[in-house]
Amino acid sequence: MNVATLVEKRRAQWAELETLCGGVVSPENAARFAALYRAACADLALASAYQLPPGTVTYLHRLVGRAHSRLYRSKRFDPMTWFDTIFVDAPRQIFSDPCVRIAAILFFGLFSLSAYLAYNEEAFPTYAEDIVGVATLEQMEDSFEPGLDGNFGHYISMAGFYIKHNTGIGLQCFAYGILLIPCVFILCYNAVALGASFGYMAREGVPGGDTFCEFVTAHGPFELTAIALSAGAGLRLGMGLFRTEGRTRVASLKANALQAVPIMVAAAIMFFLAAFTEGFISPSPLYYPLKAAWAIMSSGVLMFYFVVLGFPRGGLR
Amino acid sequence: MAEAAPLDTTIQVVTPENIAFEYQLAGPFRRIPAYVLDVLLYTMVLAFLVIIGLYIGFYSMSMLAMSVYAFIGLVLWFVLGWFYGALCETYFNGRTVGKWACGLRVISVDGRPLSGMQATIRNLLRVADLAPPAALGQFDSDVAPALAFPTALIGLMSVVMTQRMQRLGDLAAGTMVVVDEKSWRLPVAKVDDPRVAALASYVPGDYRISPTMARTLAAYAERRAYLTPARRREVARHLTDPLVDRFEFRPDIDPDLLMYALYYQTFLAGDSNTPPELGALAGFSPLRKDIGRELAPTPPPPPPPLAHSTEQGVNG
Repeated sequence: MNVATLVEKRRAQWAELETLCGGVVSPENAARFAALYRAACADLALASAYQLPPGTVTYLHRLVGRAHSRLYRSKRFDPMTWFDTIFVDAPRQIFSDPCVRIAAILFFGLFSLSAYLAYNEEAFPTYAEDIVGVATLEQMEDSFEPGLDGNFGHYISMAGFYIKHNTGIGLQCFAYGILLIPCVFILCYNAVALGASFGYMAREGVPGGDTFCEFVTAHGPFELTAIALSAGAGLRLGMGLFRTEGRTRVASLKANALQAVPIMVAAAIMFFLAAFTEGFISPSPLYYPLKAAWAIMSSGVLMFYFVVLGFPRGGLR
Repeated sequence: MAEAAPLDTTIQVVTPENIAFEYQLAGPFRRIPAYVLDVLLYTMVLAFLVIIGLYIGFYSMSMLAMSVYAFIGLVLWFVLGWFYGALCETYFNGRTVGKWACGLRVISVDGRPLSGMQATIRNLLRVADLAPPAALGQFDSDVAPALAFPTALIGLMSVVMTQRMQRLGDLAAGTMVVVDEKSWRLPVAKVDDPRVAALASYVPGDYRISPTMARTLAAYAERRAYLTPARRREVARHLTDPLVDRFEFRPDIDPDLLMYALYYQTFLAGDSNTPPELGALAGFSPLRKDIGRELAPTPPPPPPPLAHSTEQGVNG
């Protein structure tokens, strides 16, 4: 077999495939591209039988690889599946996931403990100052003392800031979950610091304390739950590396990542809801019972989401 | 397949057409520039937006317009910072702008293109791969400790220690980064030396080349251009010494030329039985039995001899 003649004969087709790799527009070209791609695949498969020189084989590998990535496109986000992800997969995953439970117990437990320690002025007089620092506490007092006011423009930009800042912390907590310890650290740090601030501001006679409580009521349920949820999703990721359940470590990590993403999506949505609440409802001079009603309603929605939607149904999982 | 060549950075992918083809994996030093390019790009986009925002605010003096603009800017900052990679890789088939510029592409480990979900997972986990951050304040107490710089040690270790050069995000998403070269040429080793065809015509017709020998010849012909003549002879002699005996060629024949002639015979010569145009070389024979014989009368301009005339020609 004369290889030179063979390569010469096929070369025009390979060159044509090469140009079509640059861009396929018309249907005729698409059909032609498919035919040429199959031919190149066959050439590559026969390359060793033909004893093609290694350079030519390398060329064919690259040509087929390029055409392959041209032919098979990435699967894009399918909005039709989002509904299922958010309202079916996520709540069930959250309901049954021990990692979420651990994260929630850790977060709300530390939060309550820290709030109590900061509130109990007689027994632990310097706790809040030690945890969050005197400067931060004074700054909080100053900012809440004048009461809640602001214009619409201020609300909008603050909502944007909360989306960026708080959701960012949640996503960071999720990503660090694969390393476990940074995730647990961020979770505990936030629980302790938030708890200390809440407890301190709830003390009798702290300037701005009432305003603070009024401010945090509305967005509290969404935001605190979202922090715990993103840490839970992160821990699920990290546990995948350690609890392999008979799979290879990488396979287990992949499977756990797929389980963790719906939880993180739910957490991100809660962060968004919290950001809009924090931007528009919390700082507004709205009648306080309305804000409290919003908080009760959002807690109810969360309960419905976690328990009613998340309750395991036989045979569906 | 990858286990067979652990030192190599090529990875084999089996397509739905049941063809196995190879990709070259991209190591950290190809991927870091691509990432830096991406960061620079979206930072520049954001800086541009901030400048426009200041301009609008300065001229309109409207607080509301500024606030709405700030909202859009902050949300865009959030989206670009966290989802730039995921969006680009989903909609540009595994490439961001930086990867496109550096000739890289992300694909699934099984060779299929990656899905939006995979792109999201691998890009969200980048934060963990860039850990631990090194705060400049650790080295100089005058610098604010907030200026943290990602060291990417976790990702680097993961890339070095995994077979497919995956960082943690790649491992979790089941993806890998491959080199996706934009330009390539079909390498054809040209034979323009007239002596090659002449020598090839003396190779016995019953000599069948083995597949490994064919591969070796092709590799030799492609690498030959990078070697000095002395080096070529040194490399080629190991293969040609047994052949010189077998073909009964004169011992001082140039091993490089013989390799090249075999290459020509294997890959380039036609099946036809017509003898090659020998031209000036007619009458000259490389065979051992012809060693003492005179050249054909009047070879017009003396051609370059088939055997190199140095003392290295004899087996050493």
